[in-house]
Amino acid sequence: MVGARKGTCFSIFTLIYLYPLLYIMALVIENLSKKYTKEKFGLRDFSITIEKGILGLLGPNGAGKSTLMKIIATISQPSSGSLVLDGHDLLKEPNYIRKVLGYLPQDFGVYPNLNAYEFLEYIAAMKGVGGPTLKARIEMLLESVNLIEVAKRPIGTYSGGMKQRIGIAQTLLNEPRVLIFDEPTVGLDPEERVRFRNLISDLAHDCIIILSSHIVSDIETIADEVALMKGGVLLTKGSQQDVIKQVEGKVFETLIDHSLLDDFKRTHLVVNTIRQKDKMRVRYISDAPVVESISYQASLEDAYLFLTKATV
Amino acid sequence: MKHFITIVKGDYLQRTRSYAFLVTLAITLYMAYTFVPPLDANYTTVRIGNYLGDYNSAWIGHVTAMMTSVFLTLIGFFLINNSVKKDLDTEVGMIIATTRVSNFNYLISKVLSNFMVLLSIVGIVLFMSIVVFFLRSKDFPFEIMQFILPYVLVTLPSMFLVSCLAVVAEVFLGRRSVIQYILFFALFNIIIANVQLKQGTEMVTYFDPFGVKAVTLQMEDFVNAHYKEEVRVASMGFVFGDKEDVKRFVFEGIHWPLLFILSRLAWMGFGVTLVVGAARYFHRFDVKERIREDKKPKMAENIVKRELAKELKISSLPPITVNYGILPLIKTEVLMLIRKGPRWFWIINLGLMTALVFTPLTISHQFLLPVLWFLQVGRLSDLVTKEKTYQVHYFTYAAYQPLKRLLPSQLIAGISLMLVLSVPLLLRHAFALQWLPMAGIVVGAIFLVLFSSALGILSGGKKLFEILFFATTYANLNRVPFADYYGSMWTSLLPIVILISLTISFACISWMVRAYEIKHA
Repeated sequence: MVGARKGTCFSIFTLIYLYPLLYIMALVIENLSKKYTKEKFGLRDFSITIEKGILGLLGPNGAGKSTLMKIIATISQPSSGSLVLDGHDLLKEPNYIRKVLGYLPQDFGVYPNLNAYEFLEYIAAMKGVGGPTLKARIEMLLESVNLIEVAKRPIGTYSGGMKQRIGIAQTLLNEPRVLIFDEPTVGLDPEERVRFRNLISDLAHDCIIILSSHIVSDIETIADEVALMKGGVLLTKGSQQDVIKQVEGKVFETLIDHSLLDDFKRTHLVVNTIRQKDKMRVRYISDAPVVESISYQASLEDAYLFLTKATV
Repeated sequence: MKHFITIVKGDYLQRTRSYAFLVTLAITLYMAYTFVPPLDANYTTVRIGNYLGDYNSAWIGHVTAMMTSVFLTLIGFFLINNSVKKDLDTEVGMIIATTRVSNFNYLISKVLSNFMVLLSIVGIVLFMSIVVFFLRSKDFPFEIMQFILPYVLVTLPSMFLVSCLAVVAEVFLGRRSVIQYILFFALFNIIIANVQLKQGTEMVTYFDPFGVKAVTLQMEDFVNAHYKEEVRVASMGFVFGDKEDVKRFVFEGIHWPLLFILSRLAWMGFGVTLVVGAARYFHRFDVKERIREDKKPKMAENIVKRELAKELKISSLPPITVNYGILPLIKTEVLMLIRKGPRWFWIINLGLMTALVFTPLTISHQFLLPVLWFLQVGRLSDLVTKEKTYQVHYFTYAAYQPLKRLLPSQLIAGISLMLVLSVPLLLRHAFALQWLPMAGIVVGAIFLVLFSSALGILSGGKKLFEILFFATTYANLNRVPFADYYGSMWTSLLPIVILISLTISFACISWMVRAYEIKHA
C-alpha cells in the first residue's frame, strides 16, 4: 500500500516535472548579438526559429557556432537580443532551459579520479536527477556508448574517443528536450559515428536538436534543416533541398593540366580536386562553365563552400 | 641562442601575465614595506642581540636584501614550481619533446624563466626599500650602492638557486606538489637553522645558500668592536615584542670578501649542476607512456570489448525522478577530496590525527593542527576551481541552479574534511570544557575553506592560496599572534568576530564572482 502511494507520488512529480516539456514548440532567437570589442562580434543580429527536429549548424572556424550554442546553453550572455523557449525568456529564466537541456560542448573535460558511473551520477545530481531508477538509466546509457565494461575504471585512463562517449551519455541523463551537440563526432571511429547518428535520429521526434560539425557528411545524413553561418551572421537556413537549390545547375567537373590548376583556382570556385595520371579532375562551381565540363548534381558540401566562400 | 631567449621570454610572459602574479607582487610590496618596521612598531626583523641599526642606506639596503633572500626563497618556490607541469598539462610539452631542444636546454630555459619571475619581484622589493628609505630615514644620505651590492651578492644568487631547485623538484617529483613542498620546507628549515647558529666563522658564510650569514657576522663584529659586547645572536624574521632594551647603532655596510663572492657564484654553479643531473632523468613528457607500461592491463582503453554494443532506444530508458537536493553533490565532492593525492598520504593524516590525541594539548593545537591542515593544501586549493581546471564547468554551469547548488556543496565538503581531521582535538577541548579553542577550530576551518574559495575564484588558479596558506602556516609555527586563525592563542572573542567578518566577505566575493563566471563561461 505504502509502495503504491510512493509510486503515485513519483508519477505526479514526474508529470509536474515534464509538464512544461510537453509544450515546447520552438526556440525563438531574435537579433542576438555577442560583441567582444567595438569592432569584433561573435554573433551579429542573429535571428532564427528552431523547432523539433535536427538543425545542422555549418560554418567555418570563427563563424559563431560555438558562441551561439554557449548562449543557448546559458553559459554565455549575449550583448543584445532575445532568446525565448516556449514563451520563457531564457536570459531572465536560464533555469527553465537548464531543466531540459542536454549539452555536449566542444572542449569539455572530466574529473580523472572518478569512474564513468560516478561521473554520470555527479552530472545527474547537477541536473537534478536522482531516485531509484537513476542507476539503471546510467547503466543503459553506458551500455549504449559501449563503456559498461570500463565503467568502474577512473576516467583518467580513458582514450579521447571514450571521453567523448561519456560526454554523449551525460546529455541524456535528464530526459532532455533541447539537445546541443558541438562537434560531437570528434574522436569517434566510423562505427561510433553511425551509432551516434542513429541515436539522435531517434531523439529528434521529441526534441530540438542543434548539431554543429565541420564534417558536412555528418549533417547531410541526419539534419532536417541546415543553417549556414559565417562571421557571426546567418547566411541561410532551410531544408537541405532549399540550401542545395542555391547552387543547382552550377556544379561542374572538368579535366585540366596540373600546370593550369593555380590559374583555374583564381578564376573559379574549386570545391574538390582529384589527381589523375596526367590530369587533374576538378569539381567547381560557376555560372559560366568552361568547355568540356560536365554538369553534376549539387551536394550540401557544394552549397556550403559556395555560400561561405562566395559570400563576403 | 636567439631561439633560446625566445623560449625563456615566452615562458616568462606567459607566467607573469596572470592575476595570481599581480596579486603576489602586491603582497610582496606590502612585505617589503614591513621589512623595515616603523620606529614605534611592536616587532623587529633583523636584530643583532639588543642592537638595531639606524635607518640609513646601509641598514635598509642590507636588511631588505637579506629578508628578501630568505623569505622570497621560501615563498618563491611555491610560485615557480609549476613551469614544467604547465607544459605537461597544456600538452605544449609534447610539441617541445618533438623538437631538437635538448633536455638540459629545456630545463635551463625553465630555470631562467623562473629566475626572471623572481627577479621581477626582487626589483619591486628593491624599489620599495628605496621608497622606505625616503619615508623612514632622517639625516642620512642616500647611497645607491648600499642597496645594489647586497641585492646582487646576497639575494640574486639565492633566487637563482631556488629557480634551479624548483625545476629539479619538478623533474623528480612531477605532479606530487605537496611532497615537493614538504621536502623543500624541510630543506629550508635545515638551512635557516644553520644560518642562525650562534657560533659562526668566516668559513660558515661560504656554506650559507642564502648568503645572509656573511652580513650578520660582520654586523655582530661591528657591534662587538664598537660597543665592547659579546653579541653572537643575530636574529632574522618577524620578532614581536621585547623592544624595551633595544639600542641603536650606525651600520656602515660591510666589505665583500672575494671568497664570499666566489662562494655565491659557486652556489649558482651548484644549481646548474643539479639541473645537469636532472636532465639525465627528465621524462621529456613521456609520462602517459610510463603509466601505460606500468599499468598496461588496467588501462581502460585496452579492455573495451570491440563488439558492437546494443543500440539505445530512448523510449526504453527508465523515467527520471527529480531531485534538486545537494546531498549527492556533497557526496561526490567528498569522494573527490578523499581520492585526491597519493593514498599513502592518508597514513600521514591518520598519524597526525593520532598525534593530536597523545601530544600535550597546547602542542597539538598550536603546531600539529596547522601542519595537519596544511597537508590538505592540494585538496583545498582547487576545491572550487577544479571544474575549470578539468573543463567540467561547461556541464556544471549549464546545469540546474549551479550557483545555489554546486558552490555550497563544494564548501560544505571542504569544511567537513577539515573538521573531521580536527575531531580528536575538538573532543579533547570538549572534555576539558575549553569552548573558546573549540570555537576557534570550527571558525578556523570555515575561514580556511572560504579563504581558498575566494582566492581560487578571484585568481582563477590555486597558486595564490597555496602561497598564502604556506606563509600563514609558517607564521603560525613561529607563533606570530595575528596569524592565528584557529584559536590556539586566543584569549578573547575579538578574533572570532574578525574571522567571521572576513569569512562572510570571502563568501560574498566567491558568490558574486562565481555568479558572473557562470554567465560568462
